[in-house]
Amino acid sequence: MMHTTNFKQKLLDVRGLTVEIDGRNGPAVVVDGIDLHVNKGETLGVVGESGCGKSLTMLSLMRLLPNKIKVTKGSASFDGHDLHKMSNRELRKVRGGDIGFVFQDPMTSLNPVMRIGDQICEPLIYHRGLKKAEARSRAVELLRLVGIPAPEERLQAYPHELSGGMRQRVMIAIGLACNPKLLIADEPTTALDVTIQAQIVDLVKDLRVRLGMSVVWITHDLALIAGLVDRVLVLYAGTVVEDAPVDALYARPSHPYTRGLLASIPKLSDAPASRLSSIGGTPPEPGRRPKGCPFAPRCSLSEAMCHERVPKLEFIRGAVDHRTACFVVDKAQGAA
Amino acid sequence: MSAIPLSPGAAPEEQLANLWTDAWHRLKRNKLALFGLTIVAILALTAIFGPFLTPYDYLTQDLQARNAVPSLEHLFGTDDLGRDVFSRVVFGTRTAFLVAVIVTVIAVIIGTVLGAVAGFFGNTTDRIIMWLTDTTMSVPNLLLVVVINASLKQPIASWMEARYLATFNPFYRQTIWVDFFLVFGSMALISWPPYARLVRAQVLSIRSRPYITAAQALGLSNWVIMTRYVVPNALGPLIVSVSAGLGTAMVLESAFSFLGVGVNPPTPSWGNMISDGLRVWQHYPHLLAAPAAVLGLASVAFSFLGDGLNDALNPRGSK
Repeated sequence: MMHTTNFKQKLLDVRGLTVEIDGRNGPAVVVDGIDLHVNKGETLGVVGESGCGKSLTMLSLMRLLPNKIKVTKGSASFDGHDLHKMSNRELRKVRGGDIGFVFQDPMTSLNPVMRIGDQICEPLIYHRGLKKAEARSRAVELLRLVGIPAPEERLQAYPHELSGGMRQRVMIAIGLACNPKLLIADEPTTALDVTIQAQIVDLVKDLRVRLGMSVVWITHDLALIAGLVDRVLVLYAGTVVEDAPVDALYARPSHPYTRGLLASIPKLSDAPASRLSSIGGTPPEPGRRPKGCPFAPRCSLSEAMCHERVPKLEFIRGAVDHRTACFVVDKAQGAA
Repeated sequence: MSAIPLSPGAAPEEQLANLWTDAWHRLKRNKLALFGLTIVAILALTAIFGPFLTPYDYLTQDLQARNAVPSLEHLFGTDDLGRDVFSRVVFGTRTAFLVAVIVTVIAVIIGTVLGAVAGFFGNTTDRIIMWLTDTTMSVPNLLLVVVINASLKQPIASWMEARYLATFNPFYRQTIWVDFFLVFGSMALISWPPYARLVRAQVLSIRSRPYITAAQALGLSNWVIMTRYVVPNALGPLIVSVSAGLGTAMVLESAFSFLGVGVNPPTPSWGNMISDGLRVWQHYPHLLAAPAAVLGLASVAFSFLGDGLNDALNPRGSK
């Protein structure tokens, strides 16, 4: 397969990334020293519930954080260049050029007063220096690539004339416009219904093989990405709690939080009237993180130590590519 | 791909239609707005072509027929110098439109640029510009215009006189342009703050929309984002405000001319005609009624049109 050729070359390498919000009660940590990397040609799934810092992590890489939110620590290098040290001008070349973004809400992420053709052409003209006519024919290609029928006509459409699924395809087309090395998709299917979700997942799966790019797919839906990603990073309260190849994660989830997430996916084999399983409690608010492991207050396996010290992300016993941040799982793993 | 004709030439009109036809349909259903639009159109045509069509020049005096009552010969009668009031009202329409359009255009340009910059960049830039806006708004309009006129008119007039005596260039005799220049200038100077505030508020709300982040993530420059993403989306409310602003500017010009700080006689303006008519209205009410009625009609027409546009354009904004 295409993406196994240079599998171990890191395209994106983020170390110790810390993001803080300037709140009324002083700064609150929302992303707490995250390490993550994406290899060339690899698809990484980033999973976690709302507010765990998934989107902020990705936005911070592109310096697109809202006003009061700042990166305070850590480094991020992309293709050998330090993203945090780039000038705004250099960074603009990366944005939309080498890194394509697909946003969460297709209904509001397109400019309502601009024809979609123009919106697709814009990065091409800006980054690739194409002439208007060249950009247009490339835009037609892109729309065809993402499966939009009659692309020549659609170029002339305004966003409100398209359905949600179509708009998300347009967003993907825009993200792909300049053949990025990395496509960051921030919950690109959340606003869509299930059949369209599946279509979009298939589309991205197909495209990344054809175009040989890396993908970071942010989601809170573990089931959705099972067939799409190579590796999964599970975030909880701004920290990485588990990092595993996708098969291993589903077969042997290690961290109690991951297990909870997997258990809360409804299955066809569940008894008809049975309660859906859920994880009790809510994630800690930024600025009110517990002293030890952030998941400890909600964890059924927690021990005294969990409330005292923060567990490090370490390889689980007998694995070379499966890491987890938990004091008790090795024991639990043995028991299971 | 080259096999497929894209016909980019045919596109723009069609597309603009797409975006604005909805609004146009809603406007058409609104009787009052349509009435306003008709009156505004008639007045605009009068302002452009009227002075060529009137039977008399606005300065021609017929001393045999002073203060004549309306008749077929003089539709609105004549004034105390025997000048045809209808011709003067028609020329006054041109004055009113000229002042209103130019003042509004200048004010909108200043207001849009300052408001967009303030809203987009925020922080200190925003504070300075808003401070300037508030300061300007806090000065009483009339006072500012009087001060500008009183302090600048005389120096400019004597400078022009001196230039004329030195060069005999007839250009320097055209004092009518000094009037207009001062009126435009001082009115624009007091009219921009509402536009700046409106555009700033629009930009602030638009800046936080996801498509702006998306545009930034595409690596587009601030300039492109501002001109192609922010300003076009802020345009709807601005159009409404401009249409109402045109009416306001017209009334303002009349008010200044009425008080003698606007357009000076003999150039006809509704305002100075009303002022002249007011002195003799008990004897010759038509001298007051004609310009006052036209001013009232214009002002009402612009409000109806502005109202209608507001209704027609807002549903799109909420989509």
